[in-house]
Amino acid sequence: MTVGLNAFILLSALLFAIGMLGVLLRKNTLVIYMSLELMLNAVNLALIAFSRYNGTMDGNLFVFFIITVAAAEVAVGLAIIVALFRKRQTVMVDRLNALSR
Amino acid sequence: MTATQSLLVVLLAPLLSAAVIALFLRRFGRLASYVSVATAGLICVAAVSALQAAGGEIIHDSWSWLSFGEFNVSMGVFLDDVSATMMLMVTFVGFLIHVFSLGYMAEDKSLARYFGGLSIFMFAMLGIVLADNLIMIFVFWELVGFSSYMLIGHYMTKPAAAAAQKKAFIVNRVGDLGFVVGIAYAYWHFGTTDLEAMGELVGDYPGLINAGIAALLMCGFIGKSAQFPLHVWLPDAMAGPTPVSALIHAATMVAAGGYFLIRIEYLFPPQVLSIILWLGVFGAVYAGFCAYARRDIKQVLAYSTLSQLGYIGAAFGLGYPGIALFHLITHAFFKALLFLAAGSVIHGCHHEQDIFKMGGLWRKMPITAFTFLIGILALCGVYGFSGYFSKDAILIAGGLTNTPVVILLTFGALLTAGYMGRLFWVVFLGKPNSEAASHAKESPLVMVVPLIILAVFSVAGGWIDFWPGVLGDSIESDKNALHRIAGYDGMHQKVVLLGTLAWVIGLIGSFFFYGRGASEDKLEQVAPPVYGFLKDRLWFDEIYNFYVAKIQQRFAELLGFIDVFLIKGVVVRGSAGLVGLVGMCSRSLHVGSIHGYVYWFLAGMLLLWAVAAGMIG
Repeated sequence: MTVGLNAFILLSALLFAIGMLGVLLRKNTLVIYMSLELMLNAVNLALIAFSRYNGTMDGNLFVFFIITVAAAEVAVGLAIIVALFRKRQTVMVDRLNALSR
Repeated sequence: MTATQSLLVVLLAPLLSAAVIALFLRRFGRLASYVSVATAGLICVAAVSALQAAGGEIIHDSWSWLSFGEFNVSMGVFLDDVSATMMLMVTFVGFLIHVFSLGYMAEDKSLARYFGGLSIFMFAMLGIVLADNLIMIFVFWELVGFSSYMLIGHYMTKPAAAAAQKKAFIVNRVGDLGFVVGIAYAYWHFGTTDLEAMGELVGDYPGLINAGIAALLMCGFIGKSAQFPLHVWLPDAMAGPTPVSALIHAATMVAAGGYFLIRIEYLFPPQVLSIILWLGVFGAVYAGFCAYARRDIKQVLAYSTLSQLGYIGAAFGLGYPGIALFHLITHAFFKALLFLAAGSVIHGCHHEQDIFKMGGLWRKMPITAFTFLIGILALCGVYGFSGYFSKDAILIAGGLTNTPVVILLTFGALLTAGYMGRLFWVVFLGKPNSEAASHAKESPLVMVVPLIILAVFSVAGGWIDFWPGVLGDSIESDKNALHRIAGYDGMHQKVVLLGTLAWVIGLIGSFFFYGRGASEDKLEQVAPPVYGFLKDRLWFDEIYNFYVAKIQQRFAELLGFIDVFLIKGVVVRGSAGLVGLVGMCSRSLHVGSIHGYVYWFLAGMLLLWAVAAGMIG
């Protein structure tokens, strides 16, 4: 049996929703970060599925770029989180609210 | 030295002296006074040498001072017979008053400030005298106002002096507003403010004479020369030291207004001349009446000065600037003499100024009394004294052109003789009326000698045929013009007769009315309502106070309300409040929680999506 496009889209949407809820609900910066990555990969999955069913390479191209940029972004983001922890001894977002004070 | 160099010495030496005193000699009053007196002597010599170097030629040199594109302001010197006459009078009388001050102010604690003020005054006054354009005159005009302000308030701890200096300064501003607008108008109209150039323009094209310019420039004269209706500052200015009153508020600065008119006499059309004439005639008579209700010796002299300034204005208004200059010069001599002699009296009586507390000073201060008498005779126009020549020339000019004027001015002369007689009989004859007067002694030589010299000039100052060189050319030409008018001889006889009658009646009448060395004002006892009326001086101060307090102040309060409510309240505070409100609203979105921002981000995405989908907007 072949897996239809709808199944890919559904999975992609589920992954995106999980990522979204993770960003909205979790307090740990690292976990929020992982959730963000999950959302990116949900989008990647959708793009590849479209590419496969359309028979074009446009989606694949996008995904390559997204993976590359995400890798760079993760390097920077993790470094920021480490620096943040060194400075504040915490990575919980409910404690990182200096702007509201 | 060339004439121009000498003139620059005349102009700049007092400035240098003032600067040295202000910067280095503030704690060395004695030294400062010597520096200032030596400078006054030096400029007197330099003035004479300038005249000799000029040798009767007109000297006119100017240097560019400021230039803005096409508009140039120059500073220059312009020496013709009028300014030469004025310059000699100012330097000479100024020098004598400087010397007198050495004695009069000897015990003053701020000698340096006083003599520095005198020097800056000499600088400013000579700047007006020598100026070659209206803008330069205005600059020095204001400097004169400043030095007058400074010297009136010399006794700065006395509230009366502080009030008087402010009053003099502010009242002068009223006149100067017209003056400065007049200068701008003249520049726009003639394209230049140079005195000589304007004279040539008007000479070539008489149609250029403009009543508006003349009337505006006249405002400066009214303020500075204390003409009616801006005369109110001069009597109050007597709060300054007496030599200052002699120098600034009798002999030179108040005469500067008249001198300024004489400089620009070619700009005046008949309408404006007649305004000046009637203001002058009114002032002459009005001030004569006011003098009767004054008990302060300097106040009486101040009203006498107002009255004589009225004569100067009237002479100019009749169209005889030369005769106005003549009276200005003779008045400077005898009024400086009278003020200095009054200063000597005040000094002798330990700063008692009430004439009814003096009396019997003839025996105690013979030289002062004698020179004072000469001053009075000159002021009253007794035959042969300087005042006779100039006042009679004015009366003749009035008699030949305008009969009501001559009647009023002769009446003014009668008033003059009356109040000056009152002053003399009460102060110098009879018995001392107070402790201070009974201990009076003749003043030291340094004060008496200037009195004697001024007395000589008060007698001889009017003998114009003996004036050297080009001095008084314009006076001569105006007198000759009078001579040529038909009926001169008859009018001359009438005026001599009437003028003599006026001073004889005035002096003798006041002698019998007031009596020798009176201790009370007879007029006040005999006719209190009349005395009270004269004392109120037609309520000018009250009217101005009413105007300032009730009209101007109310208007200012209205403007203040508009400023506070509309500009400050609505425009400034309102716009700031609006921005603040927006800031407050946006600040409430700023919760500091990353989840909050994510929700806003989502909301923004939804909005963007809705717009992109065409659901809103």
